[in-house]
Amino acid sequence: MNLHKIMIIYRKEMLDLLRDRRTVITSFVLPVILYPLLMIGFSSMLSRQEHVLEKQEMTIYINNQVMDESSLLIEKELEKLETFQIMEPINLFEKANYLPLVEDNSIQALIEIRDSLSTNGYLVYITTVSYNRSDDKSTLAYEKITNALKNVEFDLVGERLQKIKINREILNAVDIKEENVAPPEKMVGFALGKFLPYLLIILTISGASVIASDLVAGEKERGTLETILVSAARRNELVVGKYLTIITISLLTVLLNLFSMYISFTYILSQAGEVATKLQLPLGNFALILVLMLPLITLFSAILLSISTYSRNIKEAQSYQMPLIFGSIMLSMVSFLPGFELNFGFALIPIVNFSLLIRDIMLSNYNIQYLFLIIGYTILLDIIVIAISIKLFNSESVLFRTAEEKSLKFWGKGKKDIFSTQFVMLVFFILLLGLFYIGGSWQSKDIMSGLIKSEIFIILLPVIFILRISKTNIKSTLRLNKTNPLNFLLALVAAIPALIVVAVLGQLINLVFPISESYVEGMKNLLTASDGGFWYSILVIGVLAGICEETLFRGYIINGFKKLGFWKSIIISGVLFGIFHLDPFRLIPASLLGMWMGYLLLQTNSIFVPMFAHFINNSLTIVITTYGDKIPVLKTLATADIIPYWYIFPAGLIVYLVYLVVEKINPKIEINEL
Amino acid sequence: MIEVKNLTKIFLQKNGEELFAVNDLSFIVQKGEIVVLLGVNGAGKTTCMRMLSTVLKPNSGTATVEGFDILKQSQQVRANLGYLSGDTGLYSRLTARETITYFGRLYDVDEPKIKSRILEMADLLDMHNFLDKKIDLLSTGMKQKVSIARSIVHDPPVMIFDEPTAGLDILTAKNIVNFIHNCKENGKCVLFSTHIMREAERIADRIVMIHEGKILAEGSWDDLRTATQLHDLDDIFIHFVNNSSREVNDESA
Repeated sequence: MNLHKIMIIYRKEMLDLLRDRRTVITSFVLPVILYPLLMIGFSSMLSRQEHVLEKQEMTIYINNQVMDESSLLIEKELEKLETFQIMEPINLFEKANYLPLVEDNSIQALIEIRDSLSTNGYLVYITTVSYNRSDDKSTLAYEKITNALKNVEFDLVGERLQKIKINREILNAVDIKEENVAPPEKMVGFALGKFLPYLLIILTISGASVIASDLVAGEKERGTLETILVSAARRNELVVGKYLTIITISLLTVLLNLFSMYISFTYILSQAGEVATKLQLPLGNFALILVLMLPLITLFSAILLSISTYSRNIKEAQSYQMPLIFGSIMLSMVSFLPGFELNFGFALIPIVNFSLLIRDIMLSNYNIQYLFLIIGYTILLDIIVIAISIKLFNSESVLFRTAEEKSLKFWGKGKKDIFSTQFVMLVFFILLLGLFYIGGSWQSKDIMSGLIKSEIFIILLPVIFILRISKTNIKSTLRLNKTNPLNFLLALVAAIPALIVVAVLGQLINLVFPISESYVEGMKNLLTASDGGFWYSILVIGVLAGICEETLFRGYIINGFKKLGFWKSIIISGVLFGIFHLDPFRLIPASLLGMWMGYLLLQTNSIFVPMFAHFINNSLTIVITTYGDKIPVLKTLATADIIPYWYIFPAGLIVYLVYLVVEKINPKIEINEL
Repeated sequence: MIEVKNLTKIFLQKNGEELFAVNDLSFIVQKGEIVVLLGVNGAGKTTCMRMLSTVLKPNSGTATVEGFDILKQSQQVRANLGYLSGDTGLYSRLTARETITYFGRLYDVDEPKIKSRILEMADLLDMHNFLDKKIDLLSTGMKQKVSIARSIVHDPPVMIFDEPTAGLDILTAKNIVNFIHNCKENGKCVLFSTHIMREAERIADRIVMIHEGKILAEGSWDDLRTATQLHDLDDIFIHFVNNSSREVNDESA
């Protein structure tokens, strides 16, 4: 790689981009003009509106059912309120007739005064204030009314105390005084720390995405890419030159945005007068965050460059960017969630790590080891992604992809191959959405009947329907084949060891991503507390889930990947099985079990073996949660907080032996016959 | 010099079938010679030239440019090659001069040399009055002249032009053809592709007719006229195309 060449490319790209009015406007002009306008405009509008609201006339209706001296005092106090108009009372008051008036904002509040005697014989004026919380004016009326009522109460209580000759002071038994020890900059840090990560991440990615899609996909679109590919510049020089361009523009965008925001922010604070002198932005932390933004910007730039290289034109690049942008925005919002603390596990999740770290830095409360870990880790990811970009840049199939609309053709074609990867993935995602939206609502009503309905209607029947309608031979597709009975015995032998392997691995994952207590409780409840008792659970979670889920995953979905080969089809269908559980904590354990089932299927060529293994696995879980503490072997699994880690070795060995025997006793199938 | 040896390129089509875009092609272009690749659209001209320019890799066979292997020494090949593909674009926000300068730097040409090259090519291609205009504002013909200039700014010994006159007016086309002639006279080795017979006749020292990825015939126009006993260029080409399909039929029969 020649630095001089890289700089030639970099300088040309910068010149080209800075001459592009669109880039200059969106990246540089907008932030400089937009934020001050938005922020200052918004804040002045806000204070203006509040003022206007304050001056607006309010109409209220008072229904006084007591009409004694004190209740009239209450009425009088309300009448005294400025801008309040009291509706003329009518003789026959029906509350139900008046509530709609409040609801449609014809009047702002309805006040009903009744009396009642407390147990000690004192009169209590029950004053009900009906108002419309969804209306600003009505809410303001409510606030004013409650303040007025508190004043009346103060007077009435004073009167009563005077009558029995007690000093008012007696009421001040506990005087609460608030003292906030957080220094002002920490308060600002606390407020900014929540939304700054989100803001920075959005700024970074939006700044980089426009440029990135233009730099390679745009060159393909305009036909200039080939000209530089045949030039004497090397591919990696081209990639790095373009990469530096994206980083520069993105960094400039972030800096300009922050600068403009900072100025607007201080302007607003200075407008607010006194507050500004007390509030100080933690500038040292800002500087650290800016340094930290570099690796994040480089990572985004690298990913966006890869996307751009892969895409045929700008439009395609932009549509590939969408999931990345949405995903990043969602992950960046982790800083808003209470209780999420940066730990080793989160430090390894891109974006989440920065979001939490920036928040901690704003609070001046960060772990320096995590800081270095995150920077190092992100740089590592950078290198990997840039290597991918260079690889893409060397791939003629990527650079010269013809502009065919795959997805459109796929939809338009009359006859579909139901085992094509695309179609299988489509079915998978539709069922996944069905499980989430429909199954979820069924299960929230009643967990067991919901599960039964989900298994049958969302998991089993769609597969049967697809196979039926495409006139596929169900018996051979699903592999409803006879098999060596020994296979079932082997699946049984492997069941407990497999469970242990998965449990220990799950435990290891727990170390990194701790599972909340409430979640564990919830899972336990699912597995034990069914109305029909133990056998009912076995029937639904064991038998039914075994049959339905195996039909979908090992009967149908695995076929979509068989052209990728034996192991790849097992791994992919296993991971999809893991995703299908819609639960990040069970993703890895369920994927591993899915792979084991996939192996059993392809090796024995009979779906009955994985169905049986699935049934045994699920049932074992129920047995352990229900009776585990009474059965010697399962006792550790059920009661111990932590299964000893060394268990994984004997358990793994047994699973491996079973794997070898299964391989041995079943005839080898050629991959084409799969 | 270009030496093409059994060059073959196979594309996988959507229906899974293989398409032999270039099928076992072999020919030589000498120093100081203009060879025209003549063929209809889709004959394999562009694919062949793209392999020579190292942006596509052949499935089998190879070629050398100035003695450098396109597979093993692609960097040297590119440094010795000026390649203009038919449908390439230019950076619309740069001026003509900036464009040519940028490519000159990419080819490691030093600054004074770039400046003198620009003036030299501007003389020959009549580019002086638009050198400092943005590409955006140029006509199709002007853009094509800039494209040619940027592709040979480094004064390479080997030049490949893929349909450089397609879609141009007569005056510009003639200017470009004259320019290419001039290059040849300066000892360059030129490979030129077109589907326009008259242009091929005017410019070519030798012609390589290709059809469906294969060579139909090779030689000067006089050779081809003698061989076919035909005079009209179109007729000669059609004669060879018919001949080849007859051969295929004979083979299958």
